[in-house]
Amino acid sequence: MTGEPEGWLRLHRRTLPASAVLSLALVVPLVTVLAKVLLDRDVTLPVVAAAGGGAALLVIVGVVVYDLFRWRATTYRITAERVELRSGIFVREHRSIPRDRVRTVDVTADPVRRVFGLAVVKIGTGESAGGDKAELTLDPVARRHADHLRATLLSLDSRDAGREPAAGAPIAELAWPWIRYAPLTVWSFIGGAVLLGAGKKALDVVGLDLFTLDAAGEAWERVQELPLWLAVLLLAAANLMVGVVGALAVFVESWWRYRLEREPGGTIRLRRGLLTTRSTTLTEARLRGVELVEPMLLRWGGGAKVKAIATGLNKDKNDKLENADSITPPLPRDVALRVAHEISPEAPGGPPGEPPLRPHPPAARTRRLRWAVLGAAALAAATGALDLAFSPIPWWAWTVPVVALPVFLALAADAYRGLAHGLTGRHLLTRSGTAARRTVALDRSGIIGWKIQQTVFQRRSGLATVTATTAAGGGAYTVLDAGEDDALDLACHAVPGLLSPFRTASPPDRDDFVTPAQAIVARDVLY
Amino acid sequence: MDLRPPRNQADPRAVPWWTVQTLILVVPLVVAAVLAYLLFTDRPLWLGAVVGGFAVCCAAMVAVVPRAYYRMSRWEVTDEAVYTRSGWLVRSWRVAPMSRIQTVDTARGPVQRLFGLSDVTVTTASSAGAIKIEALDHRLAADLAERLTKLTQATPGDAT
Repeated sequence: MTGEPEGWLRLHRRTLPASAVLSLALVVPLVTVLAKVLLDRDVTLPVVAAAGGGAALLVIVGVVVYDLFRWRATTYRITAERVELRSGIFVREHRSIPRDRVRTVDVTADPVRRVFGLAVVKIGTGESAGGDKAELTLDPVARRHADHLRATLLSLDSRDAGREPAAGAPIAELAWPWIRYAPLTVWSFIGGAVLLGAGKKALDVVGLDLFTLDAAGEAWERVQELPLWLAVLLLAAANLMVGVVGALAVFVESWWRYRLEREPGGTIRLRRGLLTTRSTTLTEARLRGVELVEPMLLRWGGGAKVKAIATGLNKDKNDKLENADSITPPLPRDVALRVAHEISPEAPGGPPGEPPLRPHPPAARTRRLRWAVLGAAALAAATGALDLAFSPIPWWAWTVPVVALPVFLALAADAYRGLAHGLTGRHLLTRSGTAARRTVALDRSGIIGWKIQQTVFQRRSGLATVTATTAAGGGAYTVLDAGEDDALDLACHAVPGLLSPFRTASPPDRDDFVTPAQAIVARDVLY
Repeated sequence: MDLRPPRNQADPRAVPWWTVQTLILVVPLVVAAVLAYLLFTDRPLWLGAVVGGFAVCCAAMVAVVPRAYYRMSRWEVTDEAVYTRSGWLVRSWRVAPMSRIQTVDTARGPVQRLFGLSDVTVTTASSAGAIKIEALDHRLAADLAERLTKLTQATPGDAT
């Protein structure tokens, strides 16, 4: 670092105490294990205490010294044109992105950094190709400075976009009744068992066996004394309770003070979080559509979630609770539709009611029913094989394939009902999925290519799968098992002039071939 | 499918190249199966039939698959778009408009080089996979890559 040329700023100095506190996450388990090992070898208590203290000190000092070097090595500056970051202790790195390329600014503050008045700022360009290079992370800056940075970096767009300022009312804001949708996930049913497993693993490391602990052991014996059905019922109920409480807690932590709003200058801002607060801002110029996600349980409960399809929305691997592109908590389906519509006008949920979605040909249902029968047959074959190998298996094992058949058939029928596609003035619509039904409204101008696929079996039933590739979100959105000609018509109309030169019989490109009002009437009429 | 095949075919040398590739994949498997049968079993007749059947299937695959691939693999570059068809059991047609192409690469594997062939890979901003034009004469591939690069540079837009 040669001098301090004008404009170069350092990260906040309080990062040092903050990392010292954060290092406790490493220190506590380390010292516990160390103490346990030493105590097992009959080392006297003062020696153990000294060793533990020493180890703790070593780790904390190590972390703080590392952070000091990191802090000294990192500077950043924001000029009129560029955002620049210099970093790296051993390998010096100088990264620079043009300010007019900045598309997202995320501000995250975990509880420790909040106590110290700090926040982590991530500046994204919306380039998906460069991996993490397309993102600058300032870890950490002062909380207030973070907000200032966010405003400065995104203000460029406000000058030339000149949109009407937000009318004060957010697009969506947390309503506590929504929490009733929180337990409608698979985690409610397996979360308890997973927690128990993880807890037992952790205690094992310290040398404690959960089942030999006095209290736990006693409880376990009590349970074993009960009749089997009651014991199973009790355990299932306890598991469910833990899962539900966990799901509620995660909901509260993730979506506390949730607020989604449109800001003046064409940005959309999402704020949420109880302990760790998160703020994501993305420019509307990067939005390529929305996705309505209905996982099975949530769908049965009448709820849905909304995700944004945007280029460069950062896929945060540390944020395990929620995907970065989720812009709403689970909420009532009609509210989800309204949010989707407000984020991306003309998306499903527009005023005329349901979107103009066309169902897929019956051959698609036949395919799914065939899979269901084959799946059940495979299960039956497996049971039969087991019966031969370990003869005889108990009779009730045969209930598995017998019960599986109607369940698979029901899932197949549901999967078929989910299949649909359509086109509005602005979007390509596609819907599919059983375990999680997804309705995607993809901006037609965001489509950057087509992939049309046909397996041998699809060819025989006159079906095809069309995939629209895009720079945003998942990179590709698929219309599964549409009728062969429907699929091509859809692709030809969604992006005029791209696929049509390659068709044997090119239909005329009509822009007006679906208007929402007609579409509902014209459900079964060909385009 | 109501799509016309793209104009151009892969280089005819693709068939021997793919045959060699399939052999590299299949021969060790068959040899391992036969050796295992001879050395580690009591050589029951039925297992011999299974191993024999496996070997015959592999031979059929070596004979059929490269030719079937060659017949399906076609490509075309117009002023507006890149258009390819590929696949045999799963057919796939792909289109990418010139204006959305980000990079054009040519690549040649070690075996491929012996046949004087190259692949051309066309990448867009989508993370869903590039379009690959397989098995072109390496000089043709270089020319095509150059032409594509020029065309894409001439087309405005930031390709997202």
